[in-house]
Amino acid sequence: MEAVAVDSTHHLLATIWFLIIGLFLVIYVVLDGFDLGVGVLSLFVGDEPRRAAMMSSLGSIWDANETWLVVIGGTLFGAFPLVYGTVLHGLYIPIIVMLLGFMLRGVSFEFHELSANKPIWSFTFGLGSLIAAVAQGFALGGLLNGVEVIGGRFVGGAMDWLSPFSVFVAIGVTAGYAMLGSTYLIMKSRGMMQDACFERGHLLALAMMVAAAAVTVWTPMQYPEIYTRWFSTPNVYYFALLPIAAFGSFVMLLRALKKRYEVAPFVWTTMIFLFSFIGLAATWFPYIIPGAVTIDQAAAPSNTLVFMLVGIGMLIPVMITYNIYQYVVFRGKVDPDHEHTY
Amino acid sequence: MDLLHNPEFLSRAQFGFIALFHILWPPLTIGLALILFGLEAAWVKTKNVFYYHQARFWTKIFLINFGVGVISGLPMEFSFGTNWGPFSIASGDFFGNILGFETAMAFMLEAGFLGIMLFGWKRVSAGMHLFATGMVAFGSTLSAFWIMVANSWMQTPAGVEYNNGKFVITDYFDAIFNPDLAHGFGHMFMACIEISLVVVAGVSAYYLIQRRHREFFLPSFKWAVIALVAVAPLQILIGDSAGGALAQTQPAKLAAIEALWDTNKPGTGAPWAILADPNQAEQKNNWEISIPYVTSLIVTHSPTGTVQGLTEFKREDQPPVWAPFYGFRVMVAAGVFIAFMAVITLWMLWRRKSQMLADSVSGNKWLLRGWLWTIPAAYIAIEAGWLVREIGRQPWIVYGMMRTSEGVSRVPVPVLQWSLLSYMVFYTAIGIAALVFMRGVLRKGPVFEAPPHQPARHRDIESKPAIEGSH
Repeated sequence: MEAVAVDSTHHLLATIWFLIIGLFLVIYVVLDGFDLGVGVLSLFVGDEPRRAAMMSSLGSIWDANETWLVVIGGTLFGAFPLVYGTVLHGLYIPIIVMLLGFMLRGVSFEFHELSANKPIWSFTFGLGSLIAAVAQGFALGGLLNGVEVIGGRFVGGAMDWLSPFSVFVAIGVTAGYAMLGSTYLIMKSRGMMQDACFERGHLLALAMMVAAAAVTVWTPMQYPEIYTRWFSTPNVYYFALLPIAAFGSFVMLLRALKKRYEVAPFVWTTMIFLFSFIGLAATWFPYIIPGAVTIDQAAAPSNTLVFMLVGIGMLIPVMITYNIYQYVVFRGKVDPDHEHTY
Repeated sequence: MDLLHNPEFLSRAQFGFIALFHILWPPLTIGLALILFGLEAAWVKTKNVFYYHQARFWTKIFLINFGVGVISGLPMEFSFGTNWGPFSIASGDFFGNILGFETAMAFMLEAGFLGIMLFGWKRVSAGMHLFATGMVAFGSTLSAFWIMVANSWMQTPAGVEYNNGKFVITDYFDAIFNPDLAHGFGHMFMACIEISLVVVAGVSAYYLIQRRHREFFLPSFKWAVIALVAVAPLQILIGDSAGGALAQTQPAKLAAIEALWDTNKPGTGAPWAILADPNQAEQKNNWEISIPYVTSLIVTHSPTGTVQGLTEFKREDQPPVWAPFYGFRVMVAAGVFIAFMAVITLWMLWRRKSQMLADSVSGNKWLLRGWLWTIPAAYIAIEAGWLVREIGRQPWIVYGMMRTSEGVSRVPVPVLQWSLLSYMVFYTAIGIAALVFMRGVLRKGPVFEAPPHQPARHRDIESKPAIEGSH
């Protein structure tokens, strides 16, 4: 891996792919975040009609949302094979658990529709969503904690992903997803269901912010080089913008919840995710496996990156367009208290 | 060595199990999507509500099948990273690139229009709905194409050099259009069409036996059978051509399929074993029932053409023989059975018209029961075919270049045992549940509701901003 010469074209291409996959990741986290979040929240809803309404608010779009993860997998495999072959190995247990969670919730959508015993399948939907969300949190925590790669091989242990830090990240991710789910439901529902989402919003927002703050404080303490990077001038001025922007979004989110705006809470929650993600990416760039492997080391050679750019890059606007179209087709609200509206 | 403590075996077993389960679902999705597109296009064109009801009925079977296919496919993609890390790192420049194409070009297209196809009947015009169905059909076929590019490259790698544990691409065109692609994709795509027609014919036969909705299912039965008269023999021809190509591209696999240990001497012909008891340890068949000259004839089209035997290859370069040998025979038997059923039913439709009318067709008990058996036969053929293809490639993960043992991640044994067991439990439960719900759909039968609107009259559609509920 050290044999990869640093050349500027390759570095540029690797950076472009880092940004593209970053874009996919943001889209995925927001879309599947609310998707999984709705599932997590459904576990705390007592009656079947409400859970069914929550599921039907996702029925037409969950597959496309989850497909962004498949796209991330495929593009990561092609553009950064070294990351694909080591990080997934290092995070073996959380990844498999996540996949099992996805399976459980995926079949639940269909079987719920067909089954006479609906409570079973709405429960497995919620459980699968929770499992997948928590597993993603542990995977992120494990990655930030460091995946040990030497000579292009994962050399760490099977349980490296588990630490007090990753527990914290998992809670934060799950709370964040629940927050996205809650604010999505505010847009998609009315009546009592919507009221409940406004009410629990504050608590979830707080949990999410505490976790984000913990990651922000913990990272420079764990990695001295990050400390230097963040707090040297003039970097500190730029890096300071991100937590300020995130905190500003948090304040706006609380305000929007209080004023019972319907769309704004989702937008501000998305902003918090966006600033956190940019923060992580800017902190670690050009590392793609924190502290271990840079994008130049991990990236496929230039010809592959160009070929992929030709094949996939131009499709990105098309992909986004037809995904938006699907949301437009299925716009509108669900309301379990007024049967006729859905 | 105890296999359940062998990390390479566990990773292979896991991938094999996931793959064998997964491949039960997408072929029907791919073929049925094309059939649904045809039915819907017929509705839009003729405005005959019969086609609409047909499309709606088969969509229900499509839905169950699609969901299980998607969720069982997700772990396959991730398996390359989790269990086959060194392979992923070595081959990512090409193999990962192709999977990237598959996800972004094809899989996303399918997912992006699936919601509209399944739940959008009341929300978009008939023309737009037809377009969505078309995109799902196109996406799923394109997806199969890219997946077969990736898989056929593992069978007959081209356009790359293997240097220092890394496949370096020298020619993209050669790598994509590698020698096996035409056969591999052709055979798989035709299998998708064939299995879908078999399911349509078999399910229709089920209703005809039960004397339910005969006016509805006789036409679907007839058209599926007529299509199969062309498709089933064509599939056998493509398969035969694929087998012949192995002599050049993967001779060890061919020898394993035929349990042929020794190369035939000049002037003699290689026999074709109908049945045999291959003994890999002693490099011979304990016994065999064979027809002389036939293997030479099939492979080289000459009764004395030379066919390489397994002993030409070092012991460590030989694939296991038992599974390719019997898998191949099972696949061929199933394929011939389906072709036979199609031809005999066509003969009935042609010469015994009075027995094949809506009020008389149910009298042909044995014929219709035979069609029920074609459904498991088609699934068995696909499973057996993939076993032949993948076990026959061993001991290589990339044929002739990288060994399977070099491609596997060093995951601790207990972790592998846990994940293998988890997949087995989950998939078994999901498979059983899917079959139970499929039975429910069949028992309920078609629903003859009026279409939400006449085709192609967009201005009349009420735009109703509400979500379809689960009824």
